[in-house]
Amino acid sequence: MWVPPNPQPSRLPLRRPVGGRVVGGAALGLAAHLDQPPAMVRWAFVGLTPLAGLGLALYVFLWVTVPTGDPATAGGDERPAALSRLARSQGLGAERLRRVPVTDIATALVLLAGAAVLVAVRTGAHIDTTWVVPLVLLLAGTTLAWSQLDAAQRGRMRSRTGGRTPVSVLRLVGGLVLAGIGVLLLVAQETEPAALLQVTIAAVAVLAGVALVMAPWWLRLVRELGDERAARAREAERADIAAHLHDSVLQTLALIRARAADDPTEVARMARAQERELREWLYDDRPAPGTSVAAALRAIVAEVEDSRSGPTGEPVAVDTVVVGDRAPDAQTEALLQATREALVNAVVHGRPPVSLYLEVGEETVEVFVRDRGEGFDVESIPSDRFGVRESIMGRVRRRGGDATVQCKKGRGTEVHLCVPVLDSAARPQKETQR
Amino acid sequence: MSPVDVVLVDDHLMFRTGVRASLDDRVNVVGEAASVDDAVRVVRELRPPVVLLDVHLPGGDGGGGAEVIRTCADLLGETRFLALSVSDAAEDVVAVIRAGARGYVTKAISGADLSDAVQRVASGDAVFSPRLAGFVLDSFGTSAGDVAIADDEMDRLSAREREVMRLIARGYSYREVAGELFISIKTVETHVSAVLRKLQLSSRHELTRWAAARRLL
Repeated sequence: MWVPPNPQPSRLPLRRPVGGRVVGGAALGLAAHLDQPPAMVRWAFVGLTPLAGLGLALYVFLWVTVPTGDPATAGGDERPAALSRLARSQGLGAERLRRVPVTDIATALVLLAGAAVLVAVRTGAHIDTTWVVPLVLLLAGTTLAWSQLDAAQRGRMRSRTGGRTPVSVLRLVGGLVLAGIGVLLLVAQETEPAALLQVTIAAVAVLAGVALVMAPWWLRLVRELGDERAARAREAERADIAAHLHDSVLQTLALIRARAADDPTEVARMARAQERELREWLYDDRPAPGTSVAAALRAIVAEVEDSRSGPTGEPVAVDTVVVGDRAPDAQTEALLQATREALVNAVVHGRPPVSLYLEVGEETVEVFVRDRGEGFDVESIPSDRFGVRESIMGRVRRRGGDATVQCKKGRGTEVHLCVPVLDSAARPQKETQR
Repeated sequence: MSPVDVVLVDDHLMFRTGVRASLDDRVNVVGEAASVDDAVRVVRELRPPVVLLDVHLPGGDGGGGAEVIRTCADLLGETRFLALSVSDAAEDVVAVIRAGARGYVTKAISGADLSDAVQRVASGDAVFSPRLAGFVLDSFGTSAGDVAIADDEMDRLSAREREVMRLIARGYSYREVAGELFISIKTVETHVSAVLRKLQLSSRHELTRWAAARRLL
């Protein structure tokens, strides 16, 4: 498949870098975004400031709205996961960003301002409250509303799962009300209450109109954002799984290539183990550990396949079929232990192919372990031998179950294990079979 | 018995070569195809008695092996499809079986067993791997209690069919099943074919849900 050479975005996103700042990093970030020398951008800000404070206003606006971060890293983040490397690179994690304690500084400034006003009043300076109060209200409201920008970034993990929090809504509404009152007081200084009411109604009406017009656009924006987040999460998960698989498959292939000449048995075993793992990732819904007898059985099969060999030293694959599933309990635990012993017996002493069948029924859980060997006579096993008799039969019988061994000439050996189910309430959904 | 002509459909050249080499002289590979469109063309042209069909195939409308069978539905009388896949996911199995395949074996099967299966399909029988049998038991229910819920004949297994399925799931060959149940191989084959029919026509909700998810209905 042809892959485009370097899908780097042509322009870095706007971020305020942490290192190399003079004031707030806004000029530096803008310079990186526009691909211009930082000094030039800085001087542009300074040069624009005499024009009614335009440069300063722009700078403050950027400072407040542009998030902190490394533009280059953020650019990398914006590439779709399908185009990026699947395996995550090691040791290149984002270093922890140093945060300026904005809140603390703002509080200190407000307190200082308050103190200055108090001192001014005490020393007899005349302060026109008709201007100060609305201004303070307006400032407070704006700060409250803007503060959620920062909080939204901090709580991004939270909002990704839940959406908005009551606190953020409260902040927004409180900020709007405060700022609204501030603006009204500021604009309508000399008017009478009746006219003020009229002005208020008119303002609210205009705002409502604007909201009505903007609503569909805003809704679409929100929806698209949600969709994109979901898609990104899915993509990241897929990439994670793929990375895991590629990693293990590549490793096994390398091992196989290294040992193909001198150890065919080991190669076959590795190939089988890899196949099992790949199969599990591709075709199985992986249940949470400790919730599925089927998964526990598969783990046992994997362990036996990996650690035991047939009579002539070759690895033996166990053909496993599972019907139904349930949560494990003491009964199934005993059954699985006995199954393991029977399986080891079939692999080591029997003849392949080895078949394993587990059926979870309403009243019983049954296991059949079958190989094509000559089999053995249970009655001829000396009772003092702690082998088949105890490890397989004893285990199951103590749980009120039953174990039989069937050997038929030319038809192999089959061990049948069965334990009763104690509580049928623990039985999960039937669909969890695979 | 004369060798059976088969067409081999798989998108991996390496696998086609491997299968060709492993089949014994009871089977004669007359054609190969690597995609849905290829397969339909080759099958229509050669009209082989048996087609060995991979489940996942490129091309066509993205329906893979099931799409090939559905497109060639008018040939189902003379051409029989045996699905051969590395996947043992339920939805893959259901998709091709319900489209009309006469059996489902996984690619781990040995050459001799595969030749057996081809012969069996050519003579009109169904081929069930242990896993397919296990899947049937899982979706039709293992206990007799299920009979009461299912009122349609197609939606339940008879006691004998269930017994046969359990033995196949335990790794028994048709011959061994016959010996175990004291019936003839022919009877075993009849039971298996009946189960295949039920699998194709049943309206049990597990099956229909899988089928619906793959837009097969």
